[in-house]
Amino acid sequence: MITTLKLRVRDRESRRYFGAYLGGKMIGLGVVVLGMWALAWYFSTKAGAAMLSQEVTTKADDIVNPLNTVWVLVAAFLVFFMQAGFMMLEAGFGRTREISNIMLECIADTCLCGLLFWAFGFAFMFGSGNGWIGHEFFFLNGAPATYGSTGVAFLAFFLFQFAFADTCSTITSGAMVGRTAFGGDLVYSFMVSGFIYPIVGHWIWGPDGWLATMDTPFRDFAGSTVVHTVGGMIALAGAIALGPRLGRKFKRDGGGMPPGHDMILASLGGVILWFGWYGFNPGSTLSAMDYGGIGRVAANTTLAACAAGLSAMFFVYPRSRKWDTGISINGFLAGLVAITCPCYWVSPFGAVCIGALAGVIMVFGVDFVEWLRVDDPIGAVAVHGVCGIFGTISLGLFATGQYGLPGPTGADNSAPVEGLFYGGGTKQLFAQILGSAVVTVSVFAVAMVVMYAVKALGILRVSAEVELGGIDIHEHGAPAYHPEFAYMGHSAIPSGGAPHVTLPGATQGAPLRVGD
Amino acid sequence: MYLVTAVLKPHRLEEVTSALKDLDVSGMTISEVQGFGRQRGHTEVYRGSEYKVDYVPKVRVDVVCDAADADKVADVIADSARTGKIGDGKIWITEVARLVRIRTGEAGADAL
Repeated sequence: MITTLKLRVRDRESRRYFGAYLGGKMIGLGVVVLGMWALAWYFSTKAGAAMLSQEVTTKADDIVNPLNTVWVLVAAFLVFFMQAGFMMLEAGFGRTREISNIMLECIADTCLCGLLFWAFGFAFMFGSGNGWIGHEFFFLNGAPATYGSTGVAFLAFFLFQFAFADTCSTITSGAMVGRTAFGGDLVYSFMVSGFIYPIVGHWIWGPDGWLATMDTPFRDFAGSTVVHTVGGMIALAGAIALGPRLGRKFKRDGGGMPPGHDMILASLGGVILWFGWYGFNPGSTLSAMDYGGIGRVAANTTLAACAAGLSAMFFVYPRSRKWDTGISINGFLAGLVAITCPCYWVSPFGAVCIGALAGVIMVFGVDFVEWLRVDDPIGAVAVHGVCGIFGTISLGLFATGQYGLPGPTGADNSAPVEGLFYGGGTKQLFAQILGSAVVTVSVFAVAMVVMYAVKALGILRVSAEVELGGIDIHEHGAPAYHPEFAYMGHSAIPSGGAPHVTLPGATQGAPLRVGD
Repeated sequence: MYLVTAVLKPHRLEEVTSALKDLDVSGMTISEVQGFGRQRGHTEVYRGSEYKVDYVPKVRVDVVCDAADADKVADVIADSARTGKIGDGKIWITEVARLVRIRTGEAGADAL
């Protein structure tokens, strides 16, 4: 090193380069020092001093409403990203021949849901009306600057709620993968996004919904019931109306679920959903000011998912002596679904308990759906339907009695929610059971009517020929996976390349013809 | 000329390839194939239920060689592919009626 340094010093070119480099640094330093002097002089003058002492006078609303709006928008974007998670999860658990169909169903559902929610879905759900349905803000007409008392910009609130509605309609498609005709999908999605979800949602989240205005109000913080039970029950009705995929044999007939084609897609989809859930649950405070609530909800969401992923994984291990990837993904999703309702009102310990139970309940849910001979390729009924019900009821058991509701300027703990295990008695528990049961039964009944009506039109299911040949090619023109005519070798090419050699002893031969 | 065809465990392909290169074969073709032998496939587990998979993934290797080398090629493949466990695969040798190099039109042993 020393010799190279000596060489450098002796070399004229190096000396010049070093000089220029040092000179440049010095000039830069000089400019900075001069600038500091100039600023110090300016603020010592009268004009400069006046500028510094100017007081910042802002009203609370000038900060609170924008902050709450930004928080709700960030959460809305995260919830929207759950679409990517659902698409990947459904694709991974599906078979190669039906992936293009799954992609377009999710995309079309999203587009359809956006327009329907703009036209009348939002009006039914969040407009004032009676206890059963809202009728205000059709086509977003007559919208105030902020929604209700939230202090959140009206359209930001609309976007957030659209992302929720979209989630619900996508859950449904998961149980119907592989055999639903695209036309039928559009028709039932119209009914789900336009009517079933907004009307049931109004009962719970609407300004004057009957479940929300009971003596002991039914509570669903971020939508275990509103989004997940509703989605799961419609999924169950859809899967029953459709019937199983051709060739599907159920466990009690000596078969099992056909394996999903890509566990990478399924796993990533699951984790993206988990990520999106950080908008779903913490964003449902609708208030950045309730920072304690946001932190608690985010932590509870995480803990429930962790506990549920592990409990499902360990619970199925003794059955097959295998660490089951698919069930573990459904496991943490079950924990997320369950904690969605109680996340604001329970302690981290409660969240772990709820998650751990949800992971096991989900496995029984999968078994039950399989026993019913209902073909649900991604487990939507067990994860969203069954664990949505469990999560909703769990609030009546685990609510700590410390927390009330988030408000635009901070938490309002004047009317805390208290569950059975924390000495709150059975009032909240009964409210939760009543709300969950009413929603579950009514949504399932209406969804059965809708699905069988679409079936009666003959557009719910594709023909056997289309299903066996691949729904992608028949409905969408091309398969999702379109390999080019090249073999993708997986062994490394040795450096230098292989020389072309012929075997020793190869002899010149006359052209041979078959039949010679 | 003979066509030596082997069906092997996919994870033995690298060994077989390097053994055949050491033998200076003029070329080889591989393909991903599936099938069953005396075990009639195997079982897998998905989402808690066990199910039967009739066809096990294998790699098929095809080597066209001079008559004098066919046995040697088959032996080398057998030695390099062997694990001693069930499912190691099979090798069979068939006679090639005609061989043409597409680029030049050379035929027979010249085309090897």
